[in-house]
Amino acid sequence: MNKPGNILFFVLVFLLQLVISDYLHLGPWVCLTLIPFLILHIPLSRSPHVVMLAAFGLGLGLDILSAGVPGLNAFAAVLAAAPRKFFYRILVNSDRQDKTEVPLLKDIGLFKYLKYLTVLVAIYLAAYILLDCVSVRPAGFIAVKFAASTVASVLLSLLLAVPIQRRS
Amino acid sequence: MRNRYGLLSTLTAIALFIVLETLSILLVVENGVVQRYKVMGAVRSAQAWVWTRTSRIRYYFNYKAENERLSAENLQLRQQLARYAAARAELDSLTLIVEPDYTFLGATVIKNSVDRQHNHLILDRGRKEGVETGMGVVTAQGVVGIVGAVSGHYAYVLSLLNVDQTVSAKLAGSGAFGPMTWTGVEPDRAVLREIPVHITAAPGDTVYTSGFSTIYPPDIPIGTVLESKVSKGSSQELTVRLFENFRTLHNVYIVKDNRRQEIEELYEQAR
Repeated sequence: MNKPGNILFFVLVFLLQLVISDYLHLGPWVCLTLIPFLILHIPLSRSPHVVMLAAFGLGLGLDILSAGVPGLNAFAAVLAAAPRKFFYRILVNSDRQDKTEVPLLKDIGLFKYLKYLTVLVAIYLAAYILLDCVSVRPAGFIAVKFAASTVASVLLSLLLAVPIQRRS
Repeated sequence: MRNRYGLLSTLTAIALFIVLETLSILLVVENGVVQRYKVMGAVRSAQAWVWTRTSRIRYYFNYKAENERLSAENLQLRQQLARYAAARAELDSLTLIVEPDYTFLGATVIKNSVDRQHNHLILDRGRKEGVETGMGVVTAQGVVGIVGAVSGHYAYVLSLLNVDQTVSAKLAGSGAFGPMTWTGVEPDRAVLREIPVHITAAPGDTVYTSGFSTIYPPDIPIGTVLESKVSKGSSQELTVRLFENFRTLHNVYIVKDNRRQEIEELYEQAR
């Protein structure tokens, strides 16, 4: 796995997301996403403008290249990207002088990494699932889908995060 | 100065956030899957190349089940042919040549999704083979969807497994009909609505296409009734188990309604 922040890393994870979206059929209850994992790995030094535009590009790219409604992933990605730094400060490190470029599992520890990742995944999936299912699906279905998708996406992201920390 | 720059940066970030989210919402509301298909023609061609090959690999592993399905369909068609041959013998004295209402074009599914709220399929037949938007797609086991967009060699089909899709369906026997939509959860369940409460619908009753459109021919078996419940006190909602297995879908038929143009012209005149 390439070093996070490297463009090839983003391309490879995005391709993996495309393969998951197109070929991994997990049923209607689970939606697997790696977009929040990618958003988390955009260097913290980047301005919110760049982060939101990058997230919008990733989301819209996924909408266009895989099956789905255009705008769904783009909306969710921007919503997860916008408060990224705010959540980093309250969940990982409140020190404004912090020079961390990319918050890696080995640097911030499993607990903080998990909290930060889970919040980004939850925001993303809440927006995605609500926009996709609201008014056409019962609240129970939406709640179960959200919970199952969040757990599955966080676990998959952690599976990718472990080899990254070993090689970086 | 630094404060001013900071404020300006925050304001532009908020503005950018609003613009990007509004743009995304507009795209969702427009639900421009069809427009996207047209705009992304070149990308789609490259993707279709990949999908065609991966569908062949998948087909290889599913060929036993697909063979069994095609054998069953063959048997059904042979029985139908025998009935038509008998009827034809009786009609031989007539000289009137009638054009069939529907013609069918065989196609292969090269891309299929079943896990989303808005599923779709890509077929390996397009404009060059005479496919047009609005045509229905069926198999012997039921309806599959409606052609939403076509390119030269491919067709984009809005699957029945799509929360926005409705099929006009009727109950065997009583002929009571209503709109049928996918439940959005299991790929083999749909709900037939607006069936009057006085109609008796027993579990196991067959549901067919009504033919009240220029999309699907009538009397294609769709599924069987699993259960019924009264909805809002005035009508019944029937849960239907679909015959079609969307997960293993491979060979389908695109339906051309030969009366479509005439019916649409009639609608235009009536407006």
